[in-house]
Amino acid sequence: MGKKSKKKIVPGPASHGRSPGSLKPSAPTPSQRTYAITDYRLEKPTFTLRQVCVGDQVRYEIEGDLSAPVPPIRESKYLDKKQSIEIYRWMLLNRKMETALENLYKQGKVVGGVYFGLGQEACSCASAYALKSDEWLGPMIRNQGSLLVRGFSARDIMMQYMAKAGSPTKGRDASSHFGDIEKHNVVAPISTLGDLIPVLSGVALGARLQGRNIAVMTYIGDGGQSTGVTYEGLNFAAVQNLGLVLVVENNMWGYSTPADMQFRVKDLAERAIAYGIPGVIIDGTDACQVYDAAHEACERARRGEGPTLIEAKMMRMKGHAIHDAAEYVPKPLFDYWKKRDPIARFENCLVNLKKWLTPAENRELIAGVDQQLDADREFAVNSPMPTPESAAGGTWCEDGCHEIKPKYGMPKVKKGTGVALKQTESAVHFK
Amino acid sequence: MPQLTYLEAIRQGIWEEMERDPTVFCIGEDIGIYGGAFKVTDGFIDRFGPERVIDTPIAESAIVGAAFGASLTGMRPVAEFQFMDFLPCAFNQIVNMVAKAHYRWGAPAPLVIRGPSGGNVHGGPFHSQNPEMWFVHAPGLKVVCPASAYDAKGLIKASIRDNNPVIFFEHKYLYRRIKEEVPAEDYVVPLGKARLAREGRDLSVITYAAMVYVALEAAEILAKEGIQLEIIDLRTLSPLDREAIAQTVRKTNKVILLHEDVRTGGIAGEIAAIINEEAFDDLDGPIVRITAQDSPVPFSPPQEEYFLPKVSDVVREARRLHAY
Repeated sequence: MGKKSKKKIVPGPASHGRSPGSLKPSAPTPSQRTYAITDYRLEKPTFTLRQVCVGDQVRYEIEGDLSAPVPPIRESKYLDKKQSIEIYRWMLLNRKMETALENLYKQGKVVGGVYFGLGQEACSCASAYALKSDEWLGPMIRNQGSLLVRGFSARDIMMQYMAKAGSPTKGRDASSHFGDIEKHNVVAPISTLGDLIPVLSGVALGARLQGRNIAVMTYIGDGGQSTGVTYEGLNFAAVQNLGLVLVVENNMWGYSTPADMQFRVKDLAERAIAYGIPGVIIDGTDACQVYDAAHEACERARRGEGPTLIEAKMMRMKGHAIHDAAEYVPKPLFDYWKKRDPIARFENCLVNLKKWLTPAENRELIAGVDQQLDADREFAVNSPMPTPESAAGGTWCEDGCHEIKPKYGMPKVKKGTGVALKQTESAVHFK
Repeated sequence: MPQLTYLEAIRQGIWEEMERDPTVFCIGEDIGIYGGAFKVTDGFIDRFGPERVIDTPIAESAIVGAAFGASLTGMRPVAEFQFMDFLPCAFNQIVNMVAKAHYRWGAPAPLVIRGPSGGNVHGGPFHSQNPEMWFVHAPGLKVVCPASAYDAKGLIKASIRDNNPVIFFEHKYLYRRIKEEVPAEDYVVPLGKARLAREGRDLSVITYAAMVYVALEAAEILAKEGIQLEIIDLRTLSPLDREAIAQTVRKTNKVILLHEDVRTGGIAGEIAAIINEEAFDDLDGPIVRITAQDSPVPFSPPQEEYFLPKVSDVVREARRLHAY
């Protein structure tokens, strides 16, 4: 009575008129607009890949210049010495673990295949490093480094590959297909691509209903971004202004299909414009660029400003999985990207340029990683396979097996306003 | 006791759960200010606010994915599908992401996907389907198909409280045609328990959703001829109440399986197998199936009538089986 009703903008969806950060109108004609995409790279490769017919053979060839000098690691705006060394260590562990897995595969100890993130360690490790422990991540098949950063051990990943009873999924799923909602806040991926994008958006939505703006991170490739669910998920996050950090890992190959046959835009970051969110391009082999872009996107998410699309450009330095020799990839491409190895360059930066690690400290750090891996491998190899009967049970959450409770606190809800349950009839479809 | 329609009972059930539990929220297309295509959530946005009654883009995979993600943080989302015919748009999310989560990595997914299914309203091939079996065949999901208003309220509340993903099929033909006394107070109908919709001694009809009423109507006609039908309303197809199925067969020794879903791969085939396993020696006649034909749901009323199982089908088959 007499109370003036207050108007309030719904905190969820992005309201129009607010600049998403990347849209800048320009002058030329009323019908033209230009958009800006932030580009952190110190080098912009100009070569392209095309399908050519040579006689009866169809193959991929490179057109353009592959002779450019290797760029330095970009100076990070945020990383200090300790953090840089930590990321470097995660990258080493990531690579060495995959080498160990390759050997275990050759020894016949791995069930199924092995997927590699060779050449992509900076992208996995430095992006995941930008998240806080109570934030969430959804890895893709090559983001084994991200899983390590989230607190899973190399032992966990090796046991997954060997289908052991003690693996995070107790033998029920393979590779990076595992997660944890209690401690590590990782959503287990499924094999199809793009499906984590709406799911991580939903995690951010759940947190927001509980009063927290958190950053949630997931990945998609140059191949996977072609899926419809990628559009649905990212558009939903944009409309709802959810703190999704989508790292688009453009590693140039979707299995055997080059990026040029997945999309027509020059840079996948351009997609961000159409979602009305900021888009960023980084060199995915440069840990500092990866971290800086991820950190800024996470901070944006925590301020409740919505999602960011980060395109990380790099190269998948092996086949799709261990069975695939990647013979369809032109050799000069491997040579070009090998010179841009994320670990060798970061090591050089830390040891020789910044001198944050002495050669002796570096050797010690590497030896420590080897030692840890040896122990993890021994444990994993010697751990038992699951019993056949352990395949049974657990399909449904039975009474008492889980307690469901809000992770960030009970949501605050609107008090009763006297609005009562409607019992009226209305015009509807198909009476 | 107040009289409520089947639709109002569902509305009241969701409303009460939202009042009771702050982690329950609704998400879907046009469910906010408009109140949903069938007005199930009419008025919810004013009471609970746009934070808990979320209108989404037309993107079913995003709706299911977001509901699943939110459930991982301990929320209990209720996702509306405008028509259950559109579930295939989110099929991968439902059967690969959500259904497998608990088995694969121990993640419970306490979410409900609900919406209208079923024919007899001349909705045509994309607004009339009964797609429940696609999900019965995906271990990890629960599948609920209420027939009465009382059950609709009790089952939606049980589904929201369940720690598993539940696909809740609301039969749109029943939305406003069924009106009955529904308690105003809190109650749940447990998932996985069938209901004896009519007691009889001569033969059993096992069915669910709108077909319960077809069976009941047939039972009235047959009763005048001295044939007493027992009618079992399954209420949930997953989990399926095997004991109730076996029990009625042991009692009447003759059984008709009736559903509106198409014939091949319908739940009737599964129930026939269960009877074979549990009560083969109790059978005094062949198991009879009455179902829709194996085709899309046709649009034109005479064609749709031909497509759907009818009271006359049940009467005819019951007479035949009774005489066997």
